[in-house]
Amino acid sequence: MKRSPGTAIARTLVLAMLTLFIVVPFYWVVAGSFRAPAEIIAREVIWFPQSVTFEHYENLLRQSPFPTYLLNSLIVAAGTMLATVVVSTLAAYGFYRLRFPGREWLFRATLLAYAFPGVLLIVPMYGMMSGLGLIDNLLSLIIINVTFAAPFAVWMMKVFFQTIPKELEEVAELDGATRLQVLTRILLPLAAPGVAAIGIFAFVMSWTEYMFASILILSDGLRTLPVGLAGIIGQYQIDWGLLLAGATLVTVPVVVLFTLIGRYFIAGMTAGAVK
Amino acid sequence: MSVTSSPEPGTAADRATRRPRAWPAGLDSRRRREAALGYLFIAPLVLWLVATILWPLAASVHLSLLDVRLIGTQGSFIGLDNYIRVLTDDRFWAAIGRSGIWILGNAVLQTVLAFSAALVLAQLFPGVRVARTLVILSWIVPTVVAVIFWRFLLNASGGGLINPLLIELGLTDDPVGFFSSGGSAMTSLIVINSWRWFPFITVILLAALLRVPSDLYEAAAIDGATAVQRFRYITVPMLQPTLFVVGLIGTLLSFNVFDIIWLITAGGPSSDTTTAPVMIYETAFKRFRLSIAAAMSVVTALILVAFALVFIRFAQPKEMG
Repeated sequence: MKRSPGTAIARTLVLAMLTLFIVVPFYWVVAGSFRAPAEIIAREVIWFPQSVTFEHYENLLRQSPFPTYLLNSLIVAAGTMLATVVVSTLAAYGFYRLRFPGREWLFRATLLAYAFPGVLLIVPMYGMMSGLGLIDNLLSLIIINVTFAAPFAVWMMKVFFQTIPKELEEVAELDGATRLQVLTRILLPLAAPGVAAIGIFAFVMSWTEYMFASILILSDGLRTLPVGLAGIIGQYQIDWGLLLAGATLVTVPVVVLFTLIGRYFIAGMTAGAVK
Repeated sequence: MSVTSSPEPGTAADRATRRPRAWPAGLDSRRRREAALGYLFIAPLVLWLVATILWPLAASVHLSLLDVRLIGTQGSFIGLDNYIRVLTDDRFWAAIGRSGIWILGNAVLQTVLAFSAALVLAQLFPGVRVARTLVILSWIVPTVVAVIFWRFLLNASGGGLINPLLIELGLTDDPVGFFSSGGSAMTSLIVINSWRWFPFITVILLAALLRVPSDLYEAAAIDGATAVQRFRYITVPMLQPTLFVVGLIGTLLSFNVFDIIWLITAGGPSSDTTTAPVMIYETAFKRFRLSIAAAMSVVTALILVAFALVFIRFAQPKEMG
């Protein structure tokens, strides 16, 4: 279709605004993490760093508890990933491949769980975790992160199950394979990208969670990155260099992982919303 | 869903005509086995959600009828006292009102941002793939990183970006304290939250836009429809089901935002940015009034349910439902 010049101008304007709004903040923070302290707090705009230093990264990794937070975040994210993959794959198979009374209704209920405001759960969740003796235990974070990652992961799997022909399973069943064998030997290998995608999604969800981590973990040695970094912000004198380096280091893995699964992720979102 | 069969086998007459077909008994037992397997496969997820959402919700109702203050202490039954206190507390209603402003401000700003971004990204031009990936950037960074970004960019005490820019452009002489007055703190927070969340809406809108058959636009263009008319009479109606879902889920997700507000203003200055989530968190974990916070959660949940029902009643497109 032909586009009028007006469309092209509008497009350029919108793209320029998006660049300003998204790319410039990222540039400013990442560039800031390499500037000398005096340049970071300069009162004029210095677009290109005049000084390049790695001191903030050195401080962060050698003198701050950042490596501990990083390890804790990795443990929680790995646990969340594993549990989400198992629970969501099984459920996706049940929802998309088997028929049972109440299936549609239960499926919709899990969708609701995704949008459920977690803040309404923090008070009782604290009580529940303390009843289970899981306060100040990373396991409590894994449990709660799966709750908010799994429903969306089930949506994401839908796209993958749809691309696999049902005949394949029927043939295997005629040959005497059980349902679980069909799932693990035939469906999962074919849906491997989907499994990877929901694994990464769960990882990222867990990586960014702040609210529950801020109340369920008490000791500094068990803090995850979001809470740990927030603690550094709250200190008496803000050390911007340290924070900008921390923000950059926390963002890199998320961006790398997301460029890997971006399109699957978007496909899952579309499947859920457009249905 | 790809399979549209109703869960029940159908009417009695339906069943009667179906019975005499091939393998009458075998089909039934096969169906029953499939159903049993279905429940088995979804059981871990369903039980997980029941244990971590439904059960805590029930516990919340119980807790709201007690007088527990400090975490870990026992309380005695006091009936609906907490509810009376919450419902007659002006500060609670003020927080609900701020949540309303918060949701509205975010909805307007994010709709504008996401629509303009999605309409542009739905076109084909050099670099569109890169642009489609870049737009997700601000959504996938952890909240705490978004907080560091914006506290730094809007910093008023040396450094940052916005203040030096404003001063260089001659728009102000002294650094602006974006979080020092109630109105500008709320506005800044809405901008920051929209920065983080509009990519989510953009991606959903983009996916829906790409599904609109392009011959519709071509036919309209041949008939002489302007760009605005095409948007109004083709795009908007075709997007209606998506907009409905986004409106509902987006509202709930934006209501739920707690960390951005807490980590930037902690509800201040003088509770001007204390939305309902911030108040619940503060009441439970800073002021140690656990039962009151539970009662607030229950009341807030009921308000959200009421909102959802009204929204579904009036905004659901006819063909859904």
